Amino acid sequence: MKRRQYVIGAVSFAVAFVIFVIPFIFVVINAMKSAAESARLDFRLPQKWQFWQNLTDVVQARDYMLLLAYFNSTVITVGAVTLLVIFGALVGYVLQRRPSRFSSFVYAFVLTGLMIPPAVVPTIWVLQEINLFKTLHGMILIQVAYGLGFTVLLYRAFIASIPRDLDEAAIVDGARPLQVFFRVILPLLEPVTVTVIVVQSIAIFNDFTHPLYYLPGRENVTVQLTLYNFQSQFVSQMNLLFMNILLVTIPPLIVFIFFNRQIVAGMTSGAVKG
Amino acid sequence: MSRVELKQLRKSYGAVEVMKGIDLVVEPGEFCVFVGPSGCGKSTLLRMIAGLEEQTSGQIEIAGRDVSFDEPSKRGIAMVFQSYALYPHLSVRDNIGFGLSLARRPKAEIRQKVDAVGEILQLGPFMDRKPKALSGGQRQRVAIGRAIVRDPQVFLFDEPLSNLDAALRSQMRLELTELHARLGATMIYVTHDQVEAMTMADKIVVMNAGRIEQVGTPMELYQRPATPFVAGFIGSPRMNLFDGDVARRMGCDVYGIRPEHLLISESDGRWTGQVRHVERLGADTILHLDVPELGALVARTDGNCSFHPGQVVQASPQPDMEFFYAAPG
Repeated sequence: MKRRQYVIGAVSFAVAFVIFVIPFIFVVINAMKSAAESARLDFRLPQKWQFWQNLTDVVQARDYMLLLAYFNSTVITVGAVTLLVIFGALVGYVLQRRPSRFSSFVYAFVLTGLMIPPAVVPTIWVLQEINLFKTLHGMILIQVAYGLGFTVLLYRAFIASIPRDLDEAAIVDGARPLQVFFRVILPLLEPVTVTVIVVQSIAIFNDFTHPLYYLPGRENVTVQLTLYNFQSQFVSQMNLLFMNILLVTIPPLIVFIFFNRQIVAGMTSGAVKG
Repeated sequence: MSRVELKQLRKSYGAVEVMKGIDLVVEPGEFCVFVGPSGCGKSTLLRMIAGLEEQTSGQIEIAGRDVSFDEPSKRGIAMVFQSYALYPHLSVRDNIGFGLSLARRPKAEIRQKVDAVGEILQLGPFMDRKPKALSGGQRQRVAIGRAIVRDPQVFLFDEPLSNLDAALRSQMRLELTELHARLGATMIYVTHDQVEAMTMADKIVVMNAGRIEQVGTPMELYQRPATPFVAGFIGSPRMNLFDGDVARRMGCDVYGIRPEHLLISESDGRWTGQVRHVERLGADTILHLDVPELGALVARTDGNCSFHPGQVVQASPQPDMEFFYAAPG
């Protein structure tokens, strides 16, 4: 039995290494090379390490486009995640605490949002009609719409594990419905809120396709789209592309490393008790 | 100190009527206990008085004011929940002061009132702890403190002691009784434990299936139970109740005799039976008898009696301690 566990562990580790670590090493090595060397796309160590020069080249490329992209991505991520937390928690609370015909209809709607894939072209029509196409706040609303189903689901499951007595105690103490939510329930949602913030901010920050469809325009570029631009512009300069990948990957990676434990805690706490 | 009056209070969930017209008066300063088996509606009744459940029809008056449709916080009540329902993210101090801070009272006043309550309940050393760092008894005290600080006209307790172990429970029983004497407030207390009801109540309300079976002082209920249900519910071990042929031979529909009102002897008595089982509690001994004439019979005798299983004994009811009921309830 011991031996079998050991073998399974070793195999999983090897698989994880091949899938996650080797590509990352490949990116790091090639990000340090000169253009000519990186064009060969191999694992050889660079003959001349030029980390700093590649870095400044990438940042300065196209009139500091990467910095603008960081700014845009940050605005979208912070805006969307803030709205997701507020609406996800409020909707999850009402769905869990006030069962009625209306709330089951809304819940079905939330699940539909998870199940039915979004249609891009009609969404763009709608955005154009209400003058939100090619705007950052339009993009924020899109991300909220895509993330809300999952967020509501997480909050609803978690709130089910908070005893209803707490709400009632607060009502007897004289709290109005919004006070019950903001002063009693919301502070208790911290674990699942951390999960939502981390999971959603990584997903939104790393999103490539949605900004590509809904947010065209040079001034609207997001970090993942800088890769796309680089690829066409520096098609022979793979070193810069890899350096760009590295720069774009690092922020979510840091978030993930720091909050890894809370994510798992938040994901499972609602599931087990609810 | 306020009077609570319930008039024809009814509650239905769809077609199911769970509260079938409750009329009750709780006098000012009274310690009133609702007791009954699970599902009899006692908690629902308490929650209706608190305003957490809405009545289908009927009227609730507190201190002479009709509060039937008032918000819970406007009824002048405070409630202690079975699960304590302490806010886990707030310290003991903030838990007790929560209601006052919602009412936007000045900080100094909140602090002074909370400290005074902490004093009464001996919570001084724990005021800055979170609930999870407290024992069950301490949490219970915080929950009571949260009720006291509101200075309510009526205290409502929903099985507050059922999560505590036996030793702590009897201590808290005493503390609650003392608290009642000290505050002199009207208190309504729900429990399924007839010992709690007997020891603490000024007035007991025995409930069964959404109806009040009987209202009275503990000794009234013990000495003169109005229905076989009350007779069986109040007193421990429970009263021996017989219906059918046995009762008909005695000229009634239900016949009852309490275990402590049976005289057991080896020589003579009304019924003859065999000892099936002997429970020795120290001060008393509980005898389980098989009496061919009646069926199973439980009797309570001296702690140091010498009966043993298999022995044939005689049992007789003490005069005037028998109960004869006309129609089963």
